[in-house]
Amino acid sequence: MNTRLLGAVAALALLTTGPAGHAADYPTKDLQGTIMWGAGGATDVVARAITPIVEPLLGQKIVMVNRAGGGGAISTAFVAARPSDGYSLLFGAENPQLHKVLELSQIDYADFYPVNIMARGVAVIVANNDTPWTSFKDLAEDAAKRPGEIKMGSTGPGGLPHVVGSLLKTVIDFNVTSVPFDGEGPGITALLGGHVDFMPSGLSAAAEHIKAGRVKVLAVVNNEELASLPGVQPISTDFPGFSKYLPWGPFYGVFVKRDVPDAAKAKLVETFKQAASTASYVEMMEGRGNIMMNIAGDEADAFLKKWQSTTAWVLHEAGATKASPETFGIPKP
Amino acid sequence: MEGSAASYFLMSWLDPSLLALTAAGALAGVYIGAIPGLSVTMAVSILISFTFSWEVNEALALMGGVFCGGVYGGSRTAILLNIPGAPSAIATALDGYPLAQRGEAGRAIGVSTVTSVIGGLMGVAALAIAAPAISDFALKFAPRDYLLLAIIGILLVGSLSGESLAKGVFAGALGVLIGMVGLDPMTAEGRFTFGQVSLLGGIPYVAAMIGFFGVAEALVQLRNLNVAPIKQKVDRIVPGWSVIRKYIPLSIRSSAIGVVIGALPGTGGDIAALMAYDNAKRTVKNPSRPFGQGAYEGLVAPESANNAAIGGAYIPMLTLGLPGDAVTAVIIGALFIHGLKPGPMLMIETPHLFWFTVGNLTLANLFTLVFGLTGIRVFAKMMECPRAILIPLIIVLSVVGTYAIQNSVIDVYWMLAFGVLGYFMKLYGYQVGPVILGVILGPLMDVSYRRAMLSVRDDPAMFAWELVANPLTLVLTLSIVLLLASQTPAWGAATARVRRWRRNGG
Repeated sequence: MNTRLLGAVAALALLTTGPAGHAADYPTKDLQGTIMWGAGGATDVVARAITPIVEPLLGQKIVMVNRAGGGGAISTAFVAARPSDGYSLLFGAENPQLHKVLELSQIDYADFYPVNIMARGVAVIVANNDTPWTSFKDLAEDAAKRPGEIKMGSTGPGGLPHVVGSLLKTVIDFNVTSVPFDGEGPGITALLGGHVDFMPSGLSAAAEHIKAGRVKVLAVVNNEELASLPGVQPISTDFPGFSKYLPWGPFYGVFVKRDVPDAAKAKLVETFKQAASTASYVEMMEGRGNIMMNIAGDEADAFLKKWQSTTAWVLHEAGATKASPETFGIPKP
Repeated sequence: MEGSAASYFLMSWLDPSLLALTAAGALAGVYIGAIPGLSVTMAVSILISFTFSWEVNEALALMGGVFCGGVYGGSRTAILLNIPGAPSAIATALDGYPLAQRGEAGRAIGVSTVTSVIGGLMGVAALAIAAPAISDFALKFAPRDYLLLAIIGILLVGSLSGESLAKGVFAGALGVLIGMVGLDPMTAEGRFTFGQVSLLGGIPYVAAMIGFFGVAEALVQLRNLNVAPIKQKVDRIVPGWSVIRKYIPLSIRSSAIGVVIGALPGTGGDIAALMAYDNAKRTVKNPSRPFGQGAYEGLVAPESANNAAIGGAYIPMLTLGLPGDAVTAVIIGALFIHGLKPGPMLMIETPHLFWFTVGNLTLANLFTLVFGLTGIRVFAKMMECPRAILIPLIIVLSVVGTYAIQNSVIDVYWMLAFGVLGYFMKLYGYQVGPVILGVILGPLMDVSYRRAMLSVRDDPAMFAWELVANPLTLVLTLSIVLLLASQTPAWGAATARVRRWRRNGG
């Protein structure tokens, strides 16, 4: 009887404060978290690791659902269609920034407010151990000698290997055959089995295989050497043409719709900032080869814009887009 | 003793909290697995957040329990209601449900429980003994080999077609069509999406499965509402040793299929179960009844295989940090969150993990046996429930289960539409099994063929050469040739001649 009474009181309290209630009380009910990619993937791990830290700070649960598919377009469309009350969070990666030029969706991060961009990843170029190359220069020379014969593992349009591959094509004459797999994990699997010769991959997916010596790393797609990969050449050493596009990599963040009330945004920004600075989270993220960013608001928006302009134009120049970035007002870098 | 394989193996047996968590996981898994739409993958994903602050061993014990219990649990509803609780139980429904209709639901569940656990233990044994060898073997599978595997699987349409092969092929093609909806995995081009964002992600095949099996079956039964429910025999639930012994050779054979298919990244328990069923149908000479009409062999094969696939899926996960199926992909994520680094170094950096997992999975299988064998009587009696009550319940369960896949109402509409379509298909003698086969294998064939072709730069001659140039591929190619040849009249004549010659000569 008592519990029923309590329940009634709680329901009444909810009714009076309600979704349209005082923003200062936000949040008054469970939040819904939509994860852009499938369970067990990089985005999923980043999202599911931060929510248990955020929940006690917010004082509410976040109910997480994976809505993979459509290269991320399913999740952005879903969250964009939810009410702008701050109760629907989008845990996403870099992909939506290319959806317009790839004609996947008209929704990108311009429609969302960056609550926090937790971290960015670094790309590396890894190769099967049986290949003769010791550096990316060897690979580039070999590819020039026998165009189209070398097989590159990929993950489909807009994916990291595709973008890095396009970057390579833009800077040097680089003609290889790209074989797309369902993700970085399956791509690395094919690389280990020798079914592709090399693959540009996020460091987080490749790190353990590099450490164990099951694949060799030819270059870091970065301007400087990485502390976690001492002795591996940055790609811009042999090919300075790359440096203007760098740093480039995937990123992971949490977003709400642009028109969410400011008080809710402020509360979320504060909470996620605190959660993303937690030692255990930082350790987990850096252990996966990510570089912590923990940025929000205008700073994050500037980052998102720059990322979009660099990447969309690189893809466009490599002939890998369906629509010109110009159509959508994406400025040239 | 401390630090030895045996001490790691026994960790979850001796620690009361780990023991309790494994038991709780297995118990929860049996019921989660039994509800269509609630999948093991989903349960394990939820457990990641739930177990965030726990010790990693505790989290793994719970997940291992849920995994083992859940894969087994799918067979329950497959046998009782003809709704596979999970995709890996699709093949179980093919003979399990006819058994329930004969009043042998209790015995069917008993046999499936015991052979599930035998399969599960075989999978764990393979993990313990041969993990590095099997994972190296799994890496050898090139895209062309996945294509050949998918072709072997799709040939199963022939045995699932029922009265007419043409109708079976039609149903299979319908399934392939359903599987093709969504973004092309290679080019991200929309296929059959008609500009709808909701179709970009494709049609969840669990929704198709629930519709074609669950709702369609419920509608068919509504037609004969006044038929008296089948009286279930519930005397001999736990199968005797003599019964089990009879099925052990088949169970071991099916487990071997399960381990390999489970260890292959990209194929899991669902495909393993279907291939084991197909294999049993081709190789078992004198089944207890014809396959599809309640053969216990048709229950033993898929149930052994899908549980053996668990051990198989852990093999690439523990040795290489690569997922063997969707559930181990989530567990890899969990390991990362707990600060471990799944990869080839995992067994060196956290030496306890391998034998801990082996011990824990063994334990989870034993708990599955216990929880599986209790409560069968009550479940079997469910079949005797009046249809006017049971059938609305099935439909409610189907709607809830479909909504639970990803909290999407559109999926529920799809499921209901497939249910109505499946009803008419059944009415006109089309089997729904091939549809699901097409949904599962069609996309695998599609991407594997195109990857294989891309790998040889679209050169058909080179592609044909590759089919025979590599020993592994050659074996798969020859299997398909033999499978096809054995169906031709010439083959029958040839074998008859050989037999005659042997008899005369010997």
